[in-house]
Amino acid sequence: MSNHSQAHPAHLQHHFVDSDQQFDAAKMGMWVFIVNEILFFGGLFCAYIVFRAWYPDLFTQAATELNTVWGAVNTLVLIGSSLTVAMAIRSAQKNQIKGLQINLLITIALACVFLLIKYFEYSHKLHIGIWPGAELYTYEGIDHPLAHVFFSIYYVMTGIHAIHIIVGIGLMIWIYIRAKKNEFGSEYYTPVEMVGLYWHLVDVIWIFLFPLLYLIE
Amino acid sequence: MILSEDKKMSEHNHHEHHVSSAGQLWAIGIALTLLTILTVGLSYVEIPAPFDVVVALTVAFGKAFLVCAFFMNLYWDTKFNSMLLIGAFAFFILMVAVTLLDTLYRNDVVPSF
Repeated sequence: MSNHSQAHPAHLQHHFVDSDQQFDAAKMGMWVFIVNEILFFGGLFCAYIVFRAWYPDLFTQAATELNTVWGAVNTLVLIGSSLTVAMAIRSAQKNQIKGLQINLLITIALACVFLLIKYFEYSHKLHIGIWPGAELYTYEGIDHPLAHVFFSIYYVMTGIHAIHIIVGIGLMIWIYIRAKKNEFGSEYYTPVEMVGLYWHLVDVIWIFLFPLLYLIE
Repeated sequence: MILSEDKKMSEHNHHEHHVSSAGQLWAIGIALTLLTILTVGLSYVEIPAPFDVVVALTVAFGKAFLVCAFFMNLYWDTKFNSMLLIGAFAFFILMVAVTLLDTLYRNDVVPSF
């Protein structure tokens, strides 16, 4: 503290008293955004619950078309990426800019692996005629008149989750570029922490999607 | 002038942000991995109808708790942020409950289906 010049640090906006207040305000704002995200996905989970309560057999039958192994691998990929994002924040807090950059790159790579696996899952399903919606759905392997309903729910929930992954990759590229320009360190790493919170949220959503979609036999 | 600035600084005494150790973060990562293996393993066990979902969701909530508390730092954070998260979840439950009050008690599920 004693070495600080009295001038405001470059990152401090003039309407905040100090860096701590700015950091806490940003964090609370991020949590309010997370509340909004939970209720946004909550609507989709609500649809899932309503349809599962109506047609329990549909869900247990249709879920057999989802590959548990790839779902589990993707769960582990996201957990790994959550770990590296937490390590990235730790690196920033300890002024290890190289470590921050490396952890961000690993996180981006893991996010791409997740999307790649998702791409293979989607393309396989589309190939055998599992499309969302009654008109497009042509697969005959599931003996249930409403099989398309399950996959509409599946595509919307995992699709919107995948869009969040793509947004996350963009955010982390932005953080990486700023880290390369030496904009972050132990004194200022707010954007790294906020993108980290977003990324963990995306992980938490998947933690619920995985058992609810893939693990119902 | 400088003195008063210094006083102002010390009044807002710079509370340290929590820095997790690498070991802590790895421990959480490994716990999440083990819980994932557990939940996949349990899905192959025959558990009677409502309880399979209960078990899967219990594990999922356990994992979500670990992520929120120790990766998202709620454990060391101001309680207000935890309250926001719990509030969001409470309103989600409310939304589901009120919806089910309708959908569970219909004679015709959806007329056009």
